[in-house]
Amino acid sequence: MKPVLDIRDLGISFGGLKAVDQVSFQAQRHRITTVIGPNGAGKSTLFNLISGALKPHRGQVLIDGVDMTGAAPERTKAAGLSRSFQITSLFPELTVAENLRLAAQVLEPTGRAFLPVGRSTQALARTGQMLERFQLAHKRDDLAGNLSHGDQRRLEIAVCLASEPKILLLDEPTQGMSHGDTAQTARLVRSLTDDVTILLIEHDIGLVMDLSDHVVVMHQGRKLAEGPPDLVRADPAVQAAYFGHA
Amino acid sequence: MTPVDYLQFVLAPQVVNGLALGVAVVLVALGLTIIFGMLDVINMSHGEFYAIGAYAALALGAAGIGFWFLLVLVPILMIPLGMAVERLLIRPVFDTRDRHVTTLLVTFGLGLIVEDVLKIVFGANTQRPPTPIPGATEILGIILPNYRIFLILVGAAIVLGVAFVVYKTRLGAMVRAAAFDRNMAASLGVPVSLVYAGTFAFGVSLAGLAGVLLAPIYSVFPTMGRDFILLAFTVVIVGGMGSIWGAVVAGLLLTQVQALASLVISPVWTDPIVFGTMVAFLVFRPQGLFGRLGHA
Amino acid sequence: MHDRLTQSMRASHLLALLFVLAALGLAAMGAATGDTFYLRLGTEALIFAGLALSVDLLLGYSGALSLGQALYFGIGAYVSALTLMKLPSFWLAMAAAFLATLIASIIGGLIANRVRGVYFALITFGLAQVMAKVVYNTRELGASDGMIGIPVIEIGFGPFSVSAGSPVGFFLIVLAVIMGLYALTAYLLDTPFGRVLTALKANEKRVPFLGYSVWRARMAAYVLAGVIAGLSGALYPMLRGFVSPELMFFATSGNAVISVVLGGVGTLIGAIYGSVLLVILKSIIGSWTEHHLIVIGLLFMLCVMFLPRGLVGVVRPAIETWLSRRRPAPVAAADPADLPAIIAETARTSR
Repeated sequence: MKPVLDIRDLGISFGGLKAVDQVSFQAQRHRITTVIGPNGAGKSTLFNLISGALKPHRGQVLIDGVDMTGAAPERTKAAGLSRSFQITSLFPELTVAENLRLAAQVLEPTGRAFLPVGRSTQALARTGQMLERFQLAHKRDDLAGNLSHGDQRRLEIAVCLASEPKILLLDEPTQGMSHGDTAQTARLVRSLTDDVTILLIEHDIGLVMDLSDHVVVMHQGRKLAEGPPDLVRADPAVQAAYFGHA
Repeated sequence: MTPVDYLQFVLAPQVVNGLALGVAVVLVALGLTIIFGMLDVINMSHGEFYAIGAYAALALGAAGIGFWFLLVLVPILMIPLGMAVERLLIRPVFDTRDRHVTTLLVTFGLGLIVEDVLKIVFGANTQRPPTPIPGATEILGIILPNYRIFLILVGAAIVLGVAFVVYKTRLGAMVRAAAFDRNMAASLGVPVSLVYAGTFAFGVSLAGLAGVLLAPIYSVFPTMGRDFILLAFTVVIVGGMGSIWGAVVAGLLLTQVQALASLVISPVWTDPIVFGTMVAFLVFRPQGLFGRLGHA
Repeated sequence: MHDRLTQSMRASHLLALLFVLAALGLAAMGAATGDTFYLRLGTEALIFAGLALSVDLLLGYSGALSLGQALYFGIGAYVSALTLMKLPSFWLAMAAAFLATLIASIIGGLIANRVRGVYFALITFGLAQVMAKVVYNTRELGASDGMIGIPVIEIGFGPFSVSAGSPVGFFLIVLAVIMGLYALTAYLLDTPFGRVLTALKANEKRVPFLGYSVWRARMAAYVLAGVIAGLSGALYPMLRGFVSPELMFFATSGNAVISVVLGGVGTLIGAIYGSVLLVILKSIIGSWTEHHLIVIGLLFMLCVMFLPRGLVGVVRPAIETWLSRRRPAPVAAADPADLPAIIAETARTSR
């Protein structure tokens, strides 16, 4: 089966530092592929390269077989890739519903761009779905900036999903969450694979092993290993670099 | 006219006059760039502080205080004023989401008020204090007014002094630390809130000093700050917001462009050239010639 | 179904309606008493309200402070004046001003939108200053004196016609144009297109990751604002019979910013109320002292510091509440039975 996301030999350097170097892997449809690695391994930079926030110096990014290397974020988005941020990035002065509607309005035919938002039936329907699916319906008119941290993290995922992407890049969705919340969010993420392919950055190793179909290990900008969680965990090189002294 | 005559009677005086104006602009821009670099505040009322300095010199001078004493007295008098403005107007809005815009608007309002107050207190007429150092000196066959020579020398001394304090002293290090990371600096024992107020006051004080120095050359009138601030902003942008050396280089460069261009084209067109330079810089190199002071 | 932004806009519309009623009242009174002075003053306030409207579109919605919006106001005024002197047609003058400011704001937007934040403020300031200086020194445009002797025009609507010289008639026409611009802007801001502009102010960094080009949105806002300022400016020579470089000066741009801040940033109708308020303040204070800047500067500063949403920002929430009580927004009922048990659990435990 053709991979939804195909990363080939991707690389970028800042000054002399190779932040991401010769990284290749694929993300299979409706699977969760997780990128792990110690701090500074280049995981977030990798996300920035894939989503178009940074232009790679070498290599290719293929979304559904189409070369999107170095395309601006709005173009990778149009190609079906949606991403969240490690530090929550919402529209704090807009309501929960408007955050979602804004993301969902790409679903509308272009002709409706100049009709009142009340007539954006598809976007509004999608907003309603998201509100219910993420249990935010009772907060639809609250300002996103006033939500609790946990609610904001969930809204962040909902905003990414609202535009019906093919691929979802989630950058530490459980960041800053309590242990209980983390487990719930993990199950939520798992439930999303019916609709989308997920590329995840996660620090909680237990969670990674539990959740992932495929794990990519990064170390000092390079891919150290990849494979099913169990195999990766057993890999001596990974043990040395990552679980090292454990 | 021979090339030597041209050099001696046209070009050289123009360059020196441009240099005097350049030093003047640098003095005003210095405070502006320090306030921006350290506090992240665009002080739209900076030109009015410059005007206050000039009027203070005028009034105190008329009361019999000598020019040399004023050079010290006026900047000192400006410090409590600057501190009060920082406390009352900048501090309350310092932590709003859009600090740049909010502080810009507040200081813009302050500028309107100051301008009108100056008009009420001193009248709308243009006044001119006597030149403190009369006469002229001939250097290499070029006749130069003494006061302009003095201005250039004093200006250079002030710039070097400020750069020394900011870059070489413990005080300067504290200020730069506070600009770089407020919380980190606070945890290292830097009295951040005092440093901010002090920095603002210092910038204002420099504007006042510029007012004292420039009044004998450029006259004193209520809107004098408005005319000057435009050039100062240009200098700060071209030099790189927050950079002291940037302000110096850009200030001298732009005023030379202005001075020399006016030999070739009508002087009224030199302003568009100078602003055109600013626009070009913003478009092609928005960070300016040099980086930011606090973040260098 | 109305969301919160639509609801806010409806509250602004109610205030706009009140404004129009008050303006019509003034026009009726003016007509009855044969007044010229106040109607002319009101017309001028309305014209500058158009400029303030364009500043609020940028500052209050796309989040960009323009300190040189008078540039497009001035271009509109000059182009309108030049057109009227060749051919005294209202529609032609408006069309010419529209085209000229469209082109000018595309060029200006290409320059100004390379930078953001405070640099945007300073570059717009610089652009306006450069152009003002150029106009100030161009003899063909009347240089520092400006151009006088712009003919009083007849404004034709099919079989009817109104003279720009008629205080009441021209007041009504300007009222219609400015409120038309308000309505157009308000309409656009309530469409998906306009909501992307609003998103710029809320969190510009996130916008491209939702699939929208920040540059395009910023350009759209800038050009729209430029054209609004230009069309408002085009009315000025019809009222006063002259144009001068002062129309492009910082004082004009600054007054528009003051109007917006007094009236309420991001409320749209606030810009119009603010403009009228500014004119009233100036003439009231001006009647007993020439130093009105102190009072205006003070009010402005207090507004920025303590009333960041301006006058309309104070009254509008009450109107919104009143409107929503009249027409309650449908409560979206969440039926837990529809949801995967996991998510329901998530919500419970995340409390």
